[in-house]
Amino acid sequence: MLSVQGVHKSFGSIRAVRGVSFEVRPGQVVGLLGPNGAGKTTTIRMITGFLPPDDGRVMIGELDVSRDSGEARARIGYLPESAPHYPEMKVREFIAHRAALFGVERRERKKAVEAAMDRCQVGTVASRRVGVLSKGFKQRVGLAAAIVHGPSVLVLDEPTNGLDPTQVREARSLIRDLAKDRTLLFSSHVLSEVERVCDRVVMIAGGEMRADGTPSELVERTSLTPLHVVECARSPDPMPILRKVDGVSEARLEPVSDEGWVRVRITPRAGQRDLRESISVAARGAGLAVRELTIERPSLERLFAELIERPGTLGGGA
Amino acid sequence: MTIARRELASFFAIPLGWVAIALYLFLTGGVFTLMILNPNTAATMRPFFAVSAWLMLPVIPAISMRLFSEEYRSGTIEPLLTSPVSDAAIAVGKYLGALGFMVLMLVPTLGHVGVLVWVSEPAPDAGPIVAGYASLVLLGMLYLSIGLFISSLTSNQTLAFLGTLFAILLLLLATTLGADRLPEAMRPLLYAAALTPRIADFAKGVIDTSHVVFFVTCSAWFVLLTIVVLQSRRWS
Repeated sequence: MLSVQGVHKSFGSIRAVRGVSFEVRPGQVVGLLGPNGAGKTTTIRMITGFLPPDDGRVMIGELDVSRDSGEARARIGYLPESAPHYPEMKVREFIAHRAALFGVERRERKKAVEAAMDRCQVGTVASRRVGVLSKGFKQRVGLAAAIVHGPSVLVLDEPTNGLDPTQVREARSLIRDLAKDRTLLFSSHVLSEVERVCDRVVMIAGGEMRADGTPSELVERTSLTPLHVVECARSPDPMPILRKVDGVSEARLEPVSDEGWVRVRITPRAGQRDLRESISVAARGAGLAVRELTIERPSLERLFAELIERPGTLGGGA
Repeated sequence: MTIARRELASFFAIPLGWVAIALYLFLTGGVFTLMILNPNTAATMRPFFAVSAWLMLPVIPAISMRLFSEEYRSGTIEPLLTSPVSDAAIAVGKYLGALGFMVLMLVPTLGHVGVLVWVSEPAPDAGPIVAGYASLVLLGMLYLSIGLFISSLTSNQTLAFLGTLFAILLLLLATTLGADRLPEAMRPLLYAAALTPRIADFAKGVIDTSHVVFFVTCSAWFVLLTIVVLQSRRWS
């Protein structure tokens, strides 16, 4: 298990990370989500032992990454952003070098290298130099090098950054596969990616933790009001009718392609979560034909944007 | 040894390694042909060792400049420092890899010795030749350790090259020309650190243990300083 306990890190007067705490249980995939400059990479560097925390600690199982550094580092597989590599080395050679650095016994090394290459599907380029590979393949080689010693914790920093859409899809599927038998933490600033790959999300901005939970939990706990979407006839004018409904804060008209129909997005007042019945009664009373009435739950994306701008959006849940 | 092996192999996988070897062999080959293979002169390798010692001035910084600077620039320092290998093992491994390359660069010059032995009558003394090679290896060890240290301070290879070259020149000048012009109190220290009298002893065929200890100890100090730099980067 990976446990980050109130870590702080400053660089001169810049406080890069302030009191970040979270845990990743075995078998869990946790996404560290935040905009660029949020403190994700600094947090990851403290987890992997590259940087020491000024305060707080990081535990890998029972090992303190600062105190039992060597042993703790041996349990972590780490792929830094942009998958740094030695371009002159051949793929098999590079992965074997990483295996040797992590103390994989010489007699087991060949098997471990082949297994890692097989898992990350880089066998076809095993004899090619890493420097000449495509970005997608370099990323896979980096992943193979990160798992070759069988780490119990895998940490990936922006693993899909700079990949094309096909490579991103392949990388995501590989990440999910790698997470089957280990604890996995990966950082990203791409929300859809985190939603698709992770069991849990830790949101970080301005060096502080803003939220921690499953995507659905976070949306459920949010204090953001759910939007109501009403598709109704253009006549009679729906705006005065809907604006009069008790609990409505704002109504916004949107055109639809069908002649004679419009879509209205309604924002309820704070504390009002479900206005469907009131809207339905008001529309029927005014003779307004309604063909669709739905609640649009706040998306993780909307929550993320709000959390970056307004830290208190998640109520006391975080 | 994993790091030393990778470092050594990397020199042969990039043009820099081959260019350094080719240039060194070309220049020392020229010296051997023009200054040593002269009929009616004593069979000696002294000019070769004298020129080789000067050639090390640009060659060694060219070898050492990438040791850490390249790791910093490419970002490979991060996976390296997060592996369960100690900072000391990383610094020593890189140093040994570079030293191995330097020794391999000297190996083909043994051909010059072979030719000289073949064409000379009487054959040259073995003592000065062995001592000459020992002096090159010891000098290379010291220069490489300075280069390793300076490379650990910057991600810019050009800066690492120039910094190493400047540091070695400063050491050579301060302990020879500069020593007489500096305050008297500093002179004993500068004379003790002087390289040229020690190299001159080797050229005479004398392998003085105190000289060997001097080169090995100074090299160890610079490797130690490199370890301190690595640790300070990790814990800064």
